[in-house]
This record gives sequence, structure tokens and C-alpha cells, in this order.
Amino acid sequence: MDMTEIVKLQGVQKNFGKFQALKDVTFTVDEEQVVGFIGPNGAGKSTTIRILLGILQRSGGEAKIFGKDVWKESLAIHKRISYVPGEVVLWKNLTGGGIIDLFLKLHGGRDKKKRDYLIERFELDPKKKAKTYSKGNRQKVGLIAALSVNSDLYIFDEPTSGLDPLMEYVFQDEVANLKKEGKSVLLSSHILSEVERLADKVVIIRQGEIVETGTLDELRHLTRTTVTLATEEDVNKIASLKGVHDFIQEGNEARFSVDNKYINTILQEATKLGVKQFEAVPPTLEDLFMRYYEE
Amino acid sequence: MKEIFMRWDTLLFQYFKRDWKKILIWVLGIGIFSAGYVPAFIEITKDNKALIGMYQTLQNPAMTSIIGPTPIDTATDYTLGAMYSHTMLLFCGLFSMIMSALHIVGHTRKEEDLGILELVRSFHIGRQANSLAALKEISIINILITIFIGGLMYSFNAETISLEGAFLFGASIGMAGILGGALALVMSQIMSSSSSATGSTLGIIGLLYIIRAATDVSNIKLSMINPLSWTYLTYPFTEDNWLPLLFAFILSIVLVVLAFALEGNRDMGAGYLPEREGRAHAKQSLLSIPGLFIRINRGVIIAWLVGYLVLSVTYGSIYGDMETFLNSSEIVQQMFNFAGFSIEESFTSTIMMVMMGLVCILPIIIVNKLYNVESRLYISQLHATKVTRGQFYWVNIGLAVLSGLLGIFAVAIGLGGTAISVMSDSSRMEILDFFAAGLNFLPAILFFIGLAALALGWLPGLGKTVYVYLTYSFVLNYFSGILDLPNWFIKTAIKSWIPRMPMENFDGTIFFTITAISIGMIVMGYIGYKNRDMVEGS
Repeated sequence: MDMTEIVKLQGVQKNFGKFQALKDVTFTVDEEQVVGFIGPNGAGKSTTIRILLGILQRSGGEAKIFGKDVWKESLAIHKRISYVPGEVVLWKNLTGGGIIDLFLKLHGGRDKKKRDYLIERFELDPKKKAKTYSKGNRQKVGLIAALSVNSDLYIFDEPTSGLDPLMEYVFQDEVANLKKEGKSVLLSSHILSEVERLADKVVIIRQGEIVETGTLDELRHLTRTTVTLATEEDVNKIASLKGVHDFIQEGNEARFSVDNKYINTILQEATKLGVKQFEAVPPTLEDLFMRYYEE
Repeated sequence: MKEIFMRWDTLLFQYFKRDWKKILIWVLGIGIFSAGYVPAFIEITKDNKALIGMYQTLQNPAMTSIIGPTPIDTATDYTLGAMYSHTMLLFCGLFSMIMSALHIVGHTRKEEDLGILELVRSFHIGRQANSLAALKEISIINILITIFIGGLMYSFNAETISLEGAFLFGASIGMAGILGGALALVMSQIMSSSSSATGSTLGIIGLLYIIRAATDVSNIKLSMINPLSWTYLTYPFTEDNWLPLLFAFILSIVLVVLAFALEGNRDMGAGYLPEREGRAHAKQSLLSIPGLFIRINRGVIIAWLVGYLVLSVTYGSIYGDMETFLNSSEIVQQMFNFAGFSIEESFTSTIMMVMMGLVCILPIIIVNKLYNVESRLYISQLHATKVTRGQFYWVNIGLAVLSGLLGIFAVAIGLGGTAISVMSDSSRMEILDFFAAGLNFLPAILFFIGLAALALGWLPGLGKTVYVYLTYSFVLNYFSGILDLPNWFIKTAIKSWIPRMPMENFDGTIFFTITAISIGMIVMGYIGYKNRDMVEGS
């Protein structure tokens, strides 16, 4: 086994009765890597994560964490991971501080200093009973509990739902710190700016299948750049070139999108026409995302 | 002064528009529950002997502490009306009081917590108009209840149900409602959230109930200063005393004035008593899986154990008047009389079986609780720790078995202790006999734990159907003495296999066989639980 592969999923499938929730999930999280896991609701993000945690048993394929089988050797794995679900549900009559202590104790390897530091940083009142907490505050309890223990892999399933932008920033900052410490992170999120800022690698899932994997740069390369071009001669010659789409012309100015692998040929053709203005905007993660979602 | 109540009538109209279905069900429900049993009582009391029998059965401290007193001194004066208000009025009044209290908190403090009131107040509406509207609504509802109960009771045309008595009966229940509403309105101002307002109101009502249980038994005159007692001390159909209702009315006005003064002086969303601060860190006792599950089941366990204790004390207190009770009706005789045994022994064996049926409920609740916290996502984060599924499972099973044992002890102590003390020297049984009779049913309790465990492991959605089987076997056991049922049919209830001690002898083979089957089911359940997908959020 390659020691740098912390998480390895190979052709993982999951059926719920007749419904196939996961058809083919294959990706890895390497050591010291932050992987952003994105996809629309119901695409299979949480199902994948629950399989990794040994909460669900896969119907097929291979799933390993630290080289160990996620179902058979879940306990050995759990000692070294932290997890925050997207919906943190707490016992109403216990206080936030009490629940954090319980989680830390049941996980083992608690760090009281880190706990107190995080309670302060997330501005949580630990003396309040959980029934008085808002959604965001419940989420903070889950985050503090997960971040206070020393793990090698952190799994977050839409962890910032309900947090205000300030607290979201605190969370991103803490994940950045984990990255600096050489930890591995699997971050499922809807907030693309969060993924864009933190992730070394992005995995996109759609209808139970991984449709794209790669670094942001690699993914950008796979898609189209939006180009605005003004030329001295008739710009219409560009329209018929390979790799040009959605061509709109206004006088000698044109807007179009172009497959990134053809951008060189298009530049060469454009210079022949005498470039007056050239502007290329690379796709944002959101553009990438929309492209996969809309298909 | 008018300004703070401005446009309360608009709000009241809105409330009626919003609540009319609830009000309809409420008035009909409480009315039929309070007045509708008259025909059944007429049926029971067709001959006078039954009334005398009932009088003697109900005339003991344990019953008085639960259902309240009667002003009647001699059994021959115990009429249908006297018995009706004796057995029904306290509970109906209590029920009405709690309903109104919940309704008031729901329309005042709850709406404040939810932020609806903030929106309402932003319109051209007085600051305290909402409270006034809610109060008027509750008053109108309770007047409707009064009229409905009075009319319905009188319509049955029973001999001792007079017109005045019927309306006094209704008014007692209606007044209880208004008093409960007024109390809830005060607590809604003092407390800082709707849940603590509800909790404290119910707490006060509960406390008044316990105090009146003590004073009703020891010195009934002291009950006269207890607001809860003002409902039943009107004694409809016997003394027809309206005076307590006047007290209740005056107290309600005092409470309402107090509530409005308190509300006028506080900020929206604030209370006079701050929310109690919890602990910033967990107690050591919480920091384990057993600690956690004991903590989250604590309230349920205590509540059921207290229930078992109260009920078995009630049954225990009957031992003194056993002869009278058994002669009170033919059905009772058939149920409890078995040739060749003392009444005491045959009664114990039957009651023990009934009580053990109830003791089975608590362990089933606890086993089902694990699926409950699983599907509601309480433990999803804990699944990712070093806690094993085995720990979750066995801690819960252990807690269920322990609570079953505690239930048996509560019943044995409650029933045996009371029985022996009321019978003084004439008792042929010792406390150990009661323990033996109870523990004899342990395999049955384990069997129900086993069924619930099987469901938890293999088909967790079916956990609730265990109650269906429990009800089925409970009914079957209860009536097997009366009806002539085929043996195989009776044996479909697990408790039918177990000999009824102390009448029958202990059967070791059956005891250990059922125990072994139960343990088998529990282990099977574990295999299922260990290997199945956790159900989250569906």
C-alpha cells in the first residue's frame, strides 16, 4: 500500500433496496491533503462519508482509511479521525460544555487547552443548555469537539451550515492550521469559496458517481475560458475555429467561450487579425460546478 | 390605561379564527370525558349493594389521596351523584386546569419566544393586548365547558343528578381551567422561556396535588386553603357548596392583576427569574456510555418507578378491605377467587401479574430509545469515536434489565409493604413472598427485552410493535380468568406460561427455559445490530 494514501475509495457502491445511491465512487485523500468534496443535494456525499465512518456498509468496491478496511477495522480507524456531521443534534438537557467533554472523553486524546481555546474562538457559551442553542451554536459544539482532539484525518460533512460568516472564517482558519500541521482533511461543502480557499484537490460527485477529480487548476483546464476579443479585421473568422462555443459578435468585437486546450490556436489566429483587445476570464469553481450540475 | 390593551378584540377574533377546531375538540373532549360516564355509572349502580361496596373500597387513605374525599359518612347515603363527583371531579378539574395552562403559555410566552409577538406588536396594537385576548379566550372556552358539562349531565336524567349539582360540577371544572390559565399567565411573566413557564406551572399544580393528598387524608379542613382543592370541595350532588368557586374566582383576579403588572414592567423576551446556568464542564459521571445513557433515560426511569410504586401502594391498601372489595361484584369475584387459597394469596397472584405487565413497559422504552437516538442523529458524531456498536447495545440492554429489576422491587415493596401494614396481624404473607412472586416474572420481562432487542437489531422500525404484543398478552391474561378460553390460545401470551405465585409453585424449568430463549433473542439482536446500516434521519 502506498503510505501517502490516507483515504482510498475504489469503485464503491451502495444500494438502499432497489435504489442505487452510489454507483461508482473512486477517489483518494493523500497525506497532508485537503480534499473538497462537492456535489448537489442527494448526489451521495453523506452516504460516501457514512460508509467511510462505518455507519453504513458498502454494497461493493473497496474503501480504506490508513490502509484499513472501513467496515471491519472501524475502531482502529476511529481512534485517529475526527468527524463533524452537517446536522449536529444535541441532548436538550445537557450543556454545550458538558457535551463537548463527553465527546472528547469518548474519543480519547483530549486536549483541554485546545478545547478552551476553541470555545473562546468560536464564542460559544458552554454553560447554556443545548435546548437554547441555535442551529449555528449546535454546529459549533460539534466543531469544537472534533477540532479539540488530535487526529490524523478530519472528516467534515457540510460543517458550517448555520454559522455566520465570521464563524465560517474561524472554521476556515482552523482548517488552514490543520493543513499546516500536516493533517489530512475531507471537506464536503456547499460553500464553494470555502473549498476554493482550502482545497488542494476537488472531487465532484453527481448521482452517485464521481464525475471529476483534480486540483483546481487541472479542473479549470478541463473547462472553458470566457474570452472577449476585439480585432482590426473581421472577427467572424474566429467563430468557425475548433473549440469555440457560444460565439456572439457585435461589430468587430466578440464574446465566446473556448475549450482550454484550444486556446493557443485561437490566440495565433487572433494575432493574424490584429488584436485590439483581449480578455480571458478563467472559470470559477462555481462555473465548474454549474457545468456538472446542469447536464 | 386603555392604550396598552388597544385592539385586543381584533386579536381575540383572530384567535377564535385560528383555534376554533382545537376549541371544538377541547370543549367536546373535556365535556364528554367529565359528564359522559353518567350512563355507565347508572349501569354499575343498579342495585344499592354495589354502591355500598364501592363506598367501602374507596374509603381508605390511599384512594382518598389519589381521587379525593367525599363528604358522605355512611354508606347508605352514598348516591350515584355522590360517587360520580367523588371519583371524577378532581381528575377532570386537574385535566381542565392543565389544558388551559398549556393554552395560555402557548399563546403568550411561546409566541414571544417564537418572535410572532414582536411582529404583532409592530402593528397598531396595545402592548398587553395579546395577554388580555388570550385570557378572554380561555375564559370563554371555560364558560362553554361549564355550560356543556352541566347540560349534558342533566340530560341523562339520573335520579340524584340535580340541575344545580350538574352546573356546579361543570362550573368547578370551568373554574379550574380559568385558575390554571391565570397561574400560567403569571409564570409566563416570571420565567424567561416558554418551556420553563410550562414546567413551573405544571410543577406548582403537581405540588398542590401532593399537598392536598396529604391534607385530604390527615385534616380535610387544611385542604380548604389549597387552590386545587377548591374544585372538588364544592361537593356537587351532596353539599352543593358554591363558596370555594368564589375563592377561586377572587384568586384568579388577583393572579391576573399581578400578571399584568409584571408584564407591564418587563422587556419583551425577558423574565424575572433568569435561566439557570448549567455547568461549563461535564460531571465525571456523564463521561462514559453507561453514564450518558443513564443520564438521558433518568427522567423516564424515575417517573415510571414512581408510577409503579404509587399504583402498587394503591392496590396494597385494598388488602385491608379485601372481603368487601371481592364481594362488591360478581366479575371481581370471578377474577380473584380460586378455590383452596386465601383471598390474600389469590389476589396477590393476580395483581402481581397485572403489575408485571406494566413493569415490562419501561425496559421496552429503554431498548427502543437506542433506535430513537440513532435515527434522530443524536449519536452520529459518537459513531466516529472509539465507542463500539457493542457498547451502545449492551449498555442499553443492561440498563433495560436493571430497570426491569427495579420495577419488580418497586412493586414488591409497594404492594407487600402496604398490604402487610394494613392487614397487621392477619397477614399470612411476608415481604419476601411478594419479592418471590415478582421475581418469578423476570423471564417474562427478559422475553419482552429480547423481542425489542430483535427488532432493534433486524427491523428497527418495528420496535413499537412490541407494545402491541404486550397489550395483547396483558388483555389475554387479565380476562383469561373470566372467559373460558382454549388453553393454546391463552398460551400465546408469554406470561401464561409462568406459574402464578404464591398460589402456584415456582417452576424452575419454565423459569430457565424462558430466560434462555430471551438471552438467545438478545444475542441474535446483537448480531443484527452489529452488522446493519445505521438509520440516520429517516
